Amino acid sequence: MLNRVTNLTMSAAAQRNLQLQQSKLAGLQDKASSLDKIGRPSDDPSATAQALQTRTRQAAAAQYSRNIDDGNGWLTVADSALGQATNILNRVRDLTLQASNDSLGQKERDAISTELKGLNADLLSVANTQHLGRNIFAGTSDMDGAFAPPIPPDPAVLGDPGTPPKFNGTPGASVERRVSDNRTIRVDADGATIFGDGGTSLFALIGQITGDLDAGKAPNTHLTALDQGIKNVISGRAEIGTRQAELERAGTVNTDLEASLDAQKTGIEKADLGSVIMDLKLQETNYQVALAATARVLQPTLMDFLR
Amino acid sequence: MSTFGALNTAYRGLTAAQQGMNVAGQNIANAATEGYTRQRVQQSPLAAPAQGLWGAGAPQVGQGVSVDAIARLGSSFLDGGVRSAGAQAGYASVRSSALQNIEGVLKEPGDNGVSAALQGFWSAWQGVANQPGEAAPSGLVIQAANTLTTRIATAYQSLDGQWTDARGQATDAVTAVNSAASQVAAYNTTIRSTLAAGGSANELIDARAKLTESIARLAGGTVREQADGTVDVHIGGNALVMGSSVRTLALTGAATMAGSAATPVQLEWADRPGVAVGLDGGQLAGSLSVLAPAAGGSGGVIAEAAASYDRLATQLATDVNAVHSGGLTAAGAPAGNFFTIDATRPAALGISSIQDPALIGAAAAGFGAKDGHNADALAQIGTRTTSPDATWQSIVTGIGLQSRNAQQHETMTAAVATSAETSRASSASVSLDEENVSLLTNQHAYQAAARVMTAVDEALDVLINRTGLVGR
Repeated sequence: MLNRVTNLTMSAAAQRNLQLQQSKLAGLQDKASSLDKIGRPSDDPSATAQALQTRTRQAAAAQYSRNIDDGNGWLTVADSALGQATNILNRVRDLTLQASNDSLGQKERDAISTELKGLNADLLSVANTQHLGRNIFAGTSDMDGAFAPPIPPDPAVLGDPGTPPKFNGTPGASVERRVSDNRTIRVDADGATIFGDGGTSLFALIGQITGDLDAGKAPNTHLTALDQGIKNVISGRAEIGTRQAELERAGTVNTDLEASLDAQKTGIEKADLGSVIMDLKLQETNYQVALAATARVLQPTLMDFLR
Repeated sequence: MSTFGALNTAYRGLTAAQQGMNVAGQNIANAATEGYTRQRVQQSPLAAPAQGLWGAGAPQVGQGVSVDAIARLGSSFLDGGVRSAGAQAGYASVRSSALQNIEGVLKEPGDNGVSAALQGFWSAWQGVANQPGEAAPSGLVIQAANTLTTRIATAYQSLDGQWTDARGQATDAVTAVNSAASQVAAYNTTIRSTLAAGGSANELIDARAKLTESIARLAGGTVREQADGTVDVHIGGNALVMGSSVRTLALTGAATMAGSAATPVQLEWADRPGVAVGLDGGQLAGSLSVLAPAAGGSGGVIAEAAASYDRLATQLATDVNAVHSGGLTAAGAPAGNFFTIDATRPAALGISSIQDPALIGAAAAGFGAKDGHNADALAQIGTRTTSPDATWQSIVTGIGLQSRNAQQHETMTAAVATSAETSRASSASVSLDEENVSLLTNQHAYQAAARVMTAVDEALDVLINRTGLVGR
């Protein structure tokens, strides 16, 4: 009884086989056309978890790359501003040395004082350089410039020195760009460190020099302070350069990471084209064989052979 | 033996062969009928008449053949196998398709899932960190938050809809079981009276077997055959059908997923409200297990999936708010909560973000108005080991695993059901070759019986018409 085969069992078995082969074929066709290994989480739960993690890291890496580009813009602007500042200060130093010569008359000193005042205004505008509406030298400040405009001496008050430009930034604040999960790089510069603040700033110093010149004094007593100021600006620029190099290295690392994450994601989520096509071809053949066998098996009964 | 005894024997042979051909014809006619069980003529030789008191001496031949019954060649053991395998397969298929539907709601891995929305949300915070106080990135972060909350809410609503559908299916299944049960009872009555009158109830029994099978597929249970030809159907140890009496089942409990936590969906006997019926398989058992309320991970799959969306929404709101409320807005005011959850609704539906960019707290205190440290800290929530992303990944993996198991279980039970059906079909279904052989045999038997009749007829003719004519 176990092996009793009837027309019904045969046709049911044939039907089942065809259905099975066809559903395998459909699955492989789907896989070959989409090349997705994971269509739904149950296809491979652990690979799904990996795929989700990889996608999350990919999205983060793409954002880091945008952050790095943005930070590079800040640092480039800061670098060129400090370059200009160095040029201005070198010219200030030359003029101060020139004006320290005792043989100069008041007329010449007045001329130098005028140029120095212009240079001071230039220096202030460099210190107030902005990038996309933000102060490079006081990154978190929402004021119009990194330094407040100076208030000139009040002629009504005798001996009023006026108020030199005041730093608008918050001490200790910084603008940073995240370049990886656990690392940020500062992209602004501290204006107070580089240019000084208020009475001790470079602007005040140049103001004192012009004040001396206007009063007919030789400004050579300020040379030491001026040299120190120039040194500050140069070291500030060097720091910017270092950070830019750091940012570029982080960019390279991030690009590598993006490439490897992409490869990883493809490895997890995408099927190998060659093997899928092979499987598909094989399954097509299997299906055709099943069809041919079914057509042959289902036809004859004893009826065909009785007269 | 009497003079005409041989004629009677030949006549019995003729009717038996005719009956055999009739049954072969019935079998061939029903070769493709679903649920038909093949039949055979049961015949036995008739013994010789008992010897009388003075009749000892010459041995006597039997009196021909007797058609005893038309047997239905079914096996109640194989039928039982088909029923129990069908019950398991029904249970597994309902669970598997429910879990696959849930997977469809997840839309993972892909660009339309919660995971992608979370990534977009964290990236948008980095954008705010890069340009704090600017309208564009602040607008983007609010948009990203809206995308995220909409996806969570939409998924929750799809699950709610799926629950309602499953509830409707369960109600339909209960109706189907009740109607099948009353039909079984009706067949019981007819079969009992047919058999009592000595008739053949084979086709009625086939029809009843189909009904008990559909009851088993829907609600599991066991079938007990009684001596009078009726069957009793028991579900959860209690009789659904007994002879001609029927009890009805009823589905009670909440009609919505939200209400099911308080009043779970339950199968009860209509005459004993409040007492749950224990099912041992069947689609109904699958539906009930799918519809069960959430119970910390071991409840019904739909409610559990919905609860994980709630969990995700709650964690998202808690984590983001904890960091966000420590920041300052562009105007310098302390930032409040970024997400609010409406406590009167499920967290997944009630979660919403602030809609005014001016309320975004991108700055950390003491770092100036255009600081972006707090926004960066918010973006970094996504990289924590206990981030909402990680919670979500474990939810997706958990559902994936459950669904994979359910699918494997379905494949396995389907294979068992197929093999049970195959072995029953191999015993009960009609083989055309066999029937042809039987037809042939009976045809020849008929011809031969007719020949016997002719032979006896001729012998009697000789005896009656040709004897006593000597010398005429």
